[in-house]
Amino acid sequence: MDKKVLRRIKLRDRIARWVITIGGMSIIASVILILLLIGNVTLPLFQEPAAVPLAEIDLGKSPKQPEPLAIDIDEYLENAVVFSAASAFEFYATGTGALIDTIPVAPPKTPTAIPIRVTVDAPLTFSVQWNDGSLSVEQIRFLPQFDADGKRTFGRQVLRKGSFDPPPEGIPLQSLTRMESDRQVRVDLLADNRLKVTQVIVESDIFGNEEQTEHVSFLANVNSAISALTLDHHGLALYAGTADGSLLHWDLAEAGSPKLLSHVSALNSNHRITAMAMILGDISLVVGDDQGRLSTWFPVRVEKGASEKRLTRIHQLAAHDSAITAITPSRRDKSLASLDAHGSIHLDHMTSERHLITLENPQPLTRISLAPRGNGLIGLDAEGRLQLWSISNPHPEISLKTLFGKVWYESYDAPALVWQSSSGSDDFEPKLSLTPLIFGTLKGTFYAMIFAIPIALYGAIYISQFGSSRMRQWIKPGVEVMAAIPSVVIGFLAALWFAPKLEKAVPALFLAIVFIPLALVLGILLWQWLRRYQPLKTVERGYEFIAIAPVLLLAIAASITLGPLVEQWFFAGDFKLWLFNDAGTRYDPRNCIVIAFALGFAVIPIIFTIAEDSLSNVPSSLKAASLALGASRWQTVWRVILPSALPGIFAGIMIGLGRAIGETMIVLMATGNTPIIDPSIFNGMRPLSSNIAVEIPEAPFGGTLYRVLFLSSVILFVLTFALNTVAEVVRQRLRKKYGRF
Amino acid sequence: MKKYWREGEPMVWATGAALTLTLMIAATLIIVVMVNGLGVFWPKNLTLVTLKSGSRVLGEVVQREATASGEGERLQFKIGNRDLYGLDFRWVDEADFEKTELPEAAMVLERQEYGNFYGMLQSVSAPGFEASSSQALEQLMEQVAIKKQGLEEFTEKINDLNRRTSKLEHQKQILFHDDPQKNQDAIAALDRQVEALRGEFEHLVNRQTEAAVELHHYTATFSDVNGTQKTMQATEIVRYYQPNTMNVFEKGLLYLARVVELFIDDPRESNTEGGLFPAIFGTVMLIFLMSLFSFPLGVIAAVYLREYAKDGTAVRLVRIAVNNLAGIPSIVYGIFGLGFFVYGIGSGIDQIFFPERLPTPTFGTGGILWASLTLALLTVPVVIVATEEALGAIPTGIREGSLALGSTKFQALVRILLPMASPGIMTGLILAMARAAGEVAPLMITGVVKLAPALPLDGTFPFLHLDRKFMHLGFHIYDIAFQSPNVEAAKPMVYVTTLLLVLIVLLMSSVAIHLRNKMKKRYTYGTF
Repeated sequence: MDKKVLRRIKLRDRIARWVITIGGMSIIASVILILLLIGNVTLPLFQEPAAVPLAEIDLGKSPKQPEPLAIDIDEYLENAVVFSAASAFEFYATGTGALIDTIPVAPPKTPTAIPIRVTVDAPLTFSVQWNDGSLSVEQIRFLPQFDADGKRTFGRQVLRKGSFDPPPEGIPLQSLTRMESDRQVRVDLLADNRLKVTQVIVESDIFGNEEQTEHVSFLANVNSAISALTLDHHGLALYAGTADGSLLHWDLAEAGSPKLLSHVSALNSNHRITAMAMILGDISLVVGDDQGRLSTWFPVRVEKGASEKRLTRIHQLAAHDSAITAITPSRRDKSLASLDAHGSIHLDHMTSERHLITLENPQPLTRISLAPRGNGLIGLDAEGRLQLWSISNPHPEISLKTLFGKVWYESYDAPALVWQSSSGSDDFEPKLSLTPLIFGTLKGTFYAMIFAIPIALYGAIYISQFGSSRMRQWIKPGVEVMAAIPSVVIGFLAALWFAPKLEKAVPALFLAIVFIPLALVLGILLWQWLRRYQPLKTVERGYEFIAIAPVLLLAIAASITLGPLVEQWFFAGDFKLWLFNDAGTRYDPRNCIVIAFALGFAVIPIIFTIAEDSLSNVPSSLKAASLALGASRWQTVWRVILPSALPGIFAGIMIGLGRAIGETMIVLMATGNTPIIDPSIFNGMRPLSSNIAVEIPEAPFGGTLYRVLFLSSVILFVLTFALNTVAEVVRQRLRKKYGRF
Repeated sequence: MKKYWREGEPMVWATGAALTLTLMIAATLIIVVMVNGLGVFWPKNLTLVTLKSGSRVLGEVVQREATASGEGERLQFKIGNRDLYGLDFRWVDEADFEKTELPEAAMVLERQEYGNFYGMLQSVSAPGFEASSSQALEQLMEQVAIKKQGLEEFTEKINDLNRRTSKLEHQKQILFHDDPQKNQDAIAALDRQVEALRGEFEHLVNRQTEAAVELHHYTATFSDVNGTQKTMQATEIVRYYQPNTMNVFEKGLLYLARVVELFIDDPRESNTEGGLFPAIFGTVMLIFLMSLFSFPLGVIAAVYLREYAKDGTAVRLVRIAVNNLAGIPSIVYGIFGLGFFVYGIGSGIDQIFFPERLPTPTFGTGGILWASLTLALLTVPVVIVATEEALGAIPTGIREGSLALGSTKFQALVRILLPMASPGIMTGLILAMARAAGEVAPLMITGVVKLAPALPLDGTFPFLHLDRKFMHLGFHIYDIAFQSPNVEAAKPMVYVTTLLLVLIVLLMSSVAIHLRNKMKKRYTYGTF
């Protein structure tokens, strides 16, 4: 042959070898990469939060000057705001550390008054307490502007939202205020430990005329010195902490008549409460004491069914070494920053009770503030320097406990396992427990397998061992084709055809469970008498399943006819009502019975096919030997064939289980998709798989929900992978044992 | 007798019963789908019932059942006329019947909106034309059909203009993204072109409106059974017939016409009426694209595993992994497709090739390409397993013989082994396609939609729009059965769609399984 041709052929072979090898390996590798990639998406959920020092700004103050009264930062982390003792807002650029602007703030009443205390109540909103007793609320507005080069600059503006005149009782020890559009609230702690509440209600009629009414009330029944005070963000609830560790909670919703809702001893030992704040959403109260302990509280029903609610300790967060001096809740989620007397900062998340970060500064910090987006923290140290950290803390609400354990969510009466991923409001506490979903998956799978395994196995035994080979030729492929019926079709029929029919005939179903075996026994007895006639006996050569069909149909027909009668006799004519009243279970139209049938039907062909394969691949010599020794055909199957095929059957069941766990469309359509934990067969569930399908379209890319859904798909992957691997190993071993199949 | 029990004969019967039960459930499923799906298009007679109260009901009898009290029966009528009654169905107790008849004049109108109308023709009105016979209605509809064609030409022209405009806008976007300063002149030129097109557009729209307004004068007035008059524009009427006067043959023709409509028409009334063409097209195209990816990948991987890889633990592990992947839930593949294809590769493509359109995603959102890739991943294991089995079934003698004659491994593969294994490979492919046709869950998160504005394949450059969203039969079932506002009225369409999908899938898998069994026989009996 021509050498050239030979060389070309050889070259081609070599190229093909490389292409196929590389191609094959990369395909397999890339397919296996799926898990890694999905897992990779979920990893940030468990990432430790990190804080990076971003800037240090020297305020250029000499030690003699009094230190600033309040600090804050804008949402871009570009402008640091300082309320100086000289009663002016100073703006510093965090990039350069330079002072950009100073805007003085005039006292509301006495022109010579100086500010003595400033609190940051909302992003860039400062409540200023003046030394003449007056109060004002100042809000800073940043107006981002873009210049010709596309660079962002800020216009700055200070707005006064409102002010209160000095009280006649003298200068209060501490004052709090809230300025809302329809109400202004002022709370003063007077020198005699009384609390004075001033509420100005603004009512406007349809013509836009405003009318203001002022209500003043005093709260005096506090036994021990009040050491901490806080108002919720709308000024509707007042909380006070005392020096002997008591917590008081007043409802201010009705102007002029505050109601004491609870008075509880917060800490078992009498420790002074040093700081309090409301978590975003205005439900939970954070309390810090002089021992450095940090806990959150909200009102819980005293007992089940009672209307009285009492403040109860819900979450205990990581403790500090020394007394807590300030607490700053995040304005974005349920996390909070706390500062202690030694100047170290803790960042904690309430729901997950996760201690996120501890920040220490060489110079202890005296004031802190969280950025509006929760991505930064600014602190003022003892030397008069501003410290700015950027915080990467994408998923603080996720911990193993919130994913799998019981968590006491806001407004719940007890810790619970709940999945509720979203709500209308921004201050919603996401409830991302996977346990109800895993339970749903297992529940649906369990009922489906109870239905599918016996039927599939018995069917496989019959067709492989007893059925005539002519029938087998048709039935085996028939069942395989059954496996191809799309699950969306099964789900649709289950939900819109079967479920309404079942709803009317639950007693008939129970009757059928009794009647079918009964009819079978009767049928066999009848057969005893029939089989004496020779021509009929040929049925026993593998056509029994046809002969039994009318018996089964009769049994089903009988149970359907008798069902309403039984319902009349035992369940007073309405089974669902009886179930609700007497058994205490609600009947959902789309329940586990429907799932058992639908999911079972989807799984039967899989178990059937694999079990049939392994049964018919048992060497026929075994069967022949057993029959020759005088065993009956059932004895042979039960004692000889079944044990040898057991691994294959096991594999079939495992693979069927894997399919049932991962099936999405059937459960999506035929269950109510309610994430409840209730083993009752008469209600639905929400499994992992349909949860993904339901929630992923609404999950923002990269958000917590998105990653949690990926995590649930990892769980599904791992579950099915484990089941399939076990099955596959067993099958391979079997294959070795019996040659091929 | 005792011996009979001891031998376990009853257990044999029990196993037989289990098999019967399986077959019965399967048969029930098929029968329910068939009965409900096949009957949908058959024109049913219109029954007119006069009730004892004096009111009258006209409609198709849908079903009958025993009343709640157990005495007598009640009938469910499809009374249509959603715009008049608000409801499509009505239950009437048989005990209340005064008189039942099948009036010949009763007419069924299939309409663009509000579902069917059942009633009697009152009058027909067109410019210079006024009549009240059904022949007149026929003439009217013929005239309208001609006029409508003219209208459609306008629509096509307008669509064409729209496409040209959006193309120009896109060019403008590119220039703007590139450098608005430098491309100022070009942008201005484009603006002028767009302006010119817009003028033309307005002109066309005006003429179209004129034509449409002219069509408004072609109306027909019908009355419902209780005498309420309803005047409809002829363009609203899709089809009309008088079922009570039709014989079986005529009904059969109408049935066929409706089946044809199912295959070639677009859906109406939020997918609950009309045709399935976009869904069928989307499904077919999805499967085709999926095969393009999964077939070569699966075959190469299988050839590597069976012919090139050295048998050992590694290959065994890989084989377990591949078999395993066939059992991974489809929703997991969907999630992977979303995370990797859509948000990973898709966003990357957008960044590089379509930065001017951002933040509107082009490939960075679900589309037919990503859906088919996801399905390809899902079905690759099926192809691998089938191909491997087919290659493994070829006796080694053939391989050795070929090599002994001096062929290279590649030659043996291409000339001998692959052709011999081709039925097996085809089986795998068909099984994969059947699986892909029935899968819905992964599509739901990678690009299937309820109503796609355009097909992924059309006459405008570049003809194949892989970034477009698409419709799918399986999703269609889910959508109209669970998301439509009027589930009861949507049911017929769901059953039809179900029937179609089941037929497609069952046909494909029966062919595949038949092929496989035939092949098994060839190798198991033919070679030894």
